[in-house]
Amino acid sequence: MKGFSHFMSGVAVASFGPWAIDAALNGNPLFFVLGGACGILPDTLDFKFYRFFYEHDVYVTPDPKNPDPQYVADEYARAVALAVDEKRYVRVKLVSIRLGADFWQQYSVKIDNEKLEVLVKFGPVVNTGQVPVEGTENRYPTVARAKLKAKVIQTYDAGMKVDIFDGPTIGLKPMENGDLDLEFLPWHREWSHSLTIGAMLGALVGAGVWLAAGWTPAWQSFVTIAACYGVHVVEDQLGHMGSNIFYPITKLRTPGLHWMHSGDGLPNFLTVWICCLLIFWNLYRGQPAMTYHFGFVHLMMVGLVIPGLVFGALRWLLNRGQKVVVAKGDDADDEWNDSKAAG
Amino acid sequence: MSAFWMVLLSVTAGTVISSVLACLPGLHIYNVMGALVLGILALEGTAHAVPADVYLPAFTGMVVGWSMLNTIPAVLLGTPDESAMFTVLPGQKYLMAGRGFEGTMITAVGGLAGAFFLVCVMAPLAPRYLPVSQQVLKGHMHWVLWVIITFMLMSEWPKGGNRGPAGWAKFYDAWKTLLAGLATFVLAGLLGFILLTRSPVNHEVAFQNIMPAFVGLFAIPWCLLNMISAAGVPPQRIAKSLEINGDVILRSVWSGGLGGGIAAYFPVVTGGVGGMLAGHATAQRDERIFIMGQGVSKFIYYVGAFMLMFVPGLNLTRGGGAWMVKALYTPMGVADYYLVLGSIAIAAGLSYLMMEPLTKLTLKFIDRFNYRHVSTFALGIILIMVYAVTGWVGLFIATVATGIGLLPVLFGSRRLNCLGILLLPIACNMSGFGETITGWLGLT
Repeated sequence: MKGFSHFMSGVAVASFGPWAIDAALNGNPLFFVLGGACGILPDTLDFKFYRFFYEHDVYVTPDPKNPDPQYVADEYARAVALAVDEKRYVRVKLVSIRLGADFWQQYSVKIDNEKLEVLVKFGPVVNTGQVPVEGTENRYPTVARAKLKAKVIQTYDAGMKVDIFDGPTIGLKPMENGDLDLEFLPWHREWSHSLTIGAMLGALVGAGVWLAAGWTPAWQSFVTIAACYGVHVVEDQLGHMGSNIFYPITKLRTPGLHWMHSGDGLPNFLTVWICCLLIFWNLYRGQPAMTYHFGFVHLMMVGLVIPGLVFGALRWLLNRGQKVVVAKGDDADDEWNDSKAAG
Repeated sequence: MSAFWMVLLSVTAGTVISSVLACLPGLHIYNVMGALVLGILALEGTAHAVPADVYLPAFTGMVVGWSMLNTIPAVLLGTPDESAMFTVLPGQKYLMAGRGFEGTMITAVGGLAGAFFLVCVMAPLAPRYLPVSQQVLKGHMHWVLWVIITFMLMSEWPKGGNRGPAGWAKFYDAWKTLLAGLATFVLAGLLGFILLTRSPVNHEVAFQNIMPAFVGLFAIPWCLLNMISAAGVPPQRIAKSLEINGDVILRSVWSGGLGGGIAAYFPVVTGGVGGMLAGHATAQRDERIFIMGQGVSKFIYYVGAFMLMFVPGLNLTRGGGAWMVKALYTPMGVADYYLVLGSIAIAAGLSYLMMEPLTKLTLKFIDRFNYRHVSTFALGIILIMVYAVTGWVGLFIATVATGIGLLPVLFGSRRLNCLGILLLPIACNMSGFGETITGWLGLT
């Protein structure tokens, strides 16, 4: 899911703690801030910390003065050969090509398992807004190819397009049948996306709070942190990529439920909106002297069901007889592009 | 003259004036409204007193016209006010592709859709539901601000650290932008503490004390950047179709309505934050929806906040426009509410009609002159405006703010961090420890 959805989920989970509402009514925003921060923390750990310390076996670094697609193809094939020959997990970094202060050479890498080849195509020069610079589209018309020693299986369709800022990391994992499993962004959703880590973090902070302020705020902090961190892991499990749910007990990502892609508009909006309604409901319950009264079902009907039905009906009316094409997303690709585009 | 014609003429005049003024970079309509409020107050009790039936529709028209047409300087001249900040990058993408006209018009369609949503959907529901939500949320505004600040700071991703072996050097390279972002937020916050506690601006224009800082933080850095690095703007095409349909509009209203609504309803949460939330909340992959959503968000932020003051039974004042009108008038029941809603509807239609000719006129201006010169001209106007409203002190504040506003430009961090100028001091005040901090700073 998008960062904002995770963040709002954390705030919503925090609002279920009556202590958070009591503290807020007394001017202390800490539990809500903690909830939001822990809601987004697993991605923060990956994208702001861990990835810069992640070692790679092969760095594919094209020369900006002489960008050569064949070099990229050959290096990719070398990485595949390394994984096959040494029967080990190989981590490859596709480095971006910066041509100037605001210009980047775009390139894409595609695998053809039928012919056992990797295909590399240099696209246009783009600016940091990812807009192609006119006249640069066909500077490199040839598609570079190199033979691969094994099939590279990609179970989801993350586009391997490299352009602005950072290039992606891919992991090549040998499988029992001799093929290689391709993992996009192997440093992402590894140890950080774990319920165990959330609980440990909560215990650590709780211990500090216990020493400083006593038992009651300590367990309240523990519950807030563990629950808000955990909701991120649970939400990510609804997508395709999955998470390493019980690291360090488990070592691999558990595949997601495939219910959605992390960048899909509707699930993200629904998450944010339902979180807003749940927060509102919890604040209402915690408000001492209300003159207005309503029930949970009433709130959900007015805030979610009726507007949802009206919106659905309007969309149906507006799109009757038309083929609506919604851009297809991918969990890893969405989050990767999101991290680059967030201004 | 009958009340009908008086209202119609007033709203038309307000809209036309603000639509034209919105094309001038750096000038905010609240500056003009502030001056008018002073004038109206001076005339009170005289034979030339201005009746509420004249100034209420006129002010409504001004807010509406401004919220629609301030897209023009943001997209075409690169001089956004804070609320239009998120339209600049995609807007300039359109401009550099020769599609500046489309960029501004798509935002205007968003504004019009926002007006429809506000008047036909929100307005009938507001008197029934907003007083309830106000009662629930009134003790919780402070933490909402802190939560927004937390998200703003945590959701900025590193831009550097792209090459080289893993390790601390790479980490530091990546964190340069984030540290610059944090520094921007804190410095802007400190400036905010000074301006909100002991503003050096003359007390006669005290209601404008934040204006030079906003101009320095947001508009001047864009101008300087354009003057230094602006590539030639390609010839602009006037598109026959904007290639949008009802579905695109509906989804834009959905995203922009949420962001703009939050910005309008919660104190100090500004249009820029609303724009950011609109972009993040709905994860739209379609750029047209993003741009149009920004138009919706901007409209609902300005006009929705103004409208809240008139919602019967709510008694809520949000946004600079409403605070200024409150100095003149206390809304009384549904008649005022309907007057304002009618004025919003008329002004929205009128300002949309003005969008096309004014965009074309600005494009002609850009076509005719070098873009660097256009930016220099825009900067000149901005400085004159600041001087005219707040004098040399205002120029000094703008200079300090420009120094802070240039940090994101130089380090590639997020410009929104400049909003620390309002968010930090007001969040501290609302949580009850603002005075402690101003004490530490020696301001109280």
